Amino acid sequence: MPARFPYLPLASGRGDASLMPLVPLELKFKNSQIVQAHGLLDSGATVSVLPYGLGVRLGAVWEAQTTRVTLAGNLAAQEARALLVQARVGDVGPVSLVFAWTRAENVPLLLGQVNFFEEFDVCFHRSRRQFEVEPARK
Amino acid sequence: MKLAELLPALHELPRVDKFRAVQFLTAELAQAEDELSSGTQYPVWSPYGAHDAAATLTQYLLEQTQNQ
Repeated sequence: MPARFPYLPLASGRGDASLMPLVPLELKFKNSQIVQAHGLLDSGATVSVLPYGLGVRLGAVWEAQTTRVTLAGNLAAQEARALLVQARVGDVGPVSLVFAWTRAENVPLLLGQVNFFEEFDVCFHRSRRQFEVEPARK
Repeated sequence: MKLAELLPALHELPRVDKFRAVQFLTAELAQAEDELSSGTQYPVWSPYGAHDAAATLTQYLLEQTQNQ
């Protein structure tokens, strides 16, 4: 059975216009403590993006991550490094998710094609204000 | 002010001002609907078409998971 989640408002007082598919995650980097976060399911994003502060909370050290990643769009101006994180979505996981860990702070946690949508099948039901996530059937 | 009080005044407006009133109300409704403001920049963070990044991260993932 896929895990079902409600669309959540990104801003108060804007009604349905601000509802977005934000999936609750448990993230863990190496042996650090688990950090809970909400990730935006962004099927248009080529890669997943981790904001700088969240990477620090996970215990990652910028200088220790040496694989550089060049992003596109608004994030292109910010330096980014590759980071591998263990993630759980509901009862599923841990799954290895790779992120472009950006120096940018004011960016949401984005879950993109590489590799969130390779690991999870997602079904959006925007009209019912809910979405479903299940492990990918590879 | 109630709409019933406003309607006679709107009726008396010249044609061009009636159009302006419609434009004003449409803009007001649109702004209330989604809070988007004309002339304001809204960043789009999604890295669309970041294929080099995707290739780098895929290779990194492969190397890291092989080493585990």
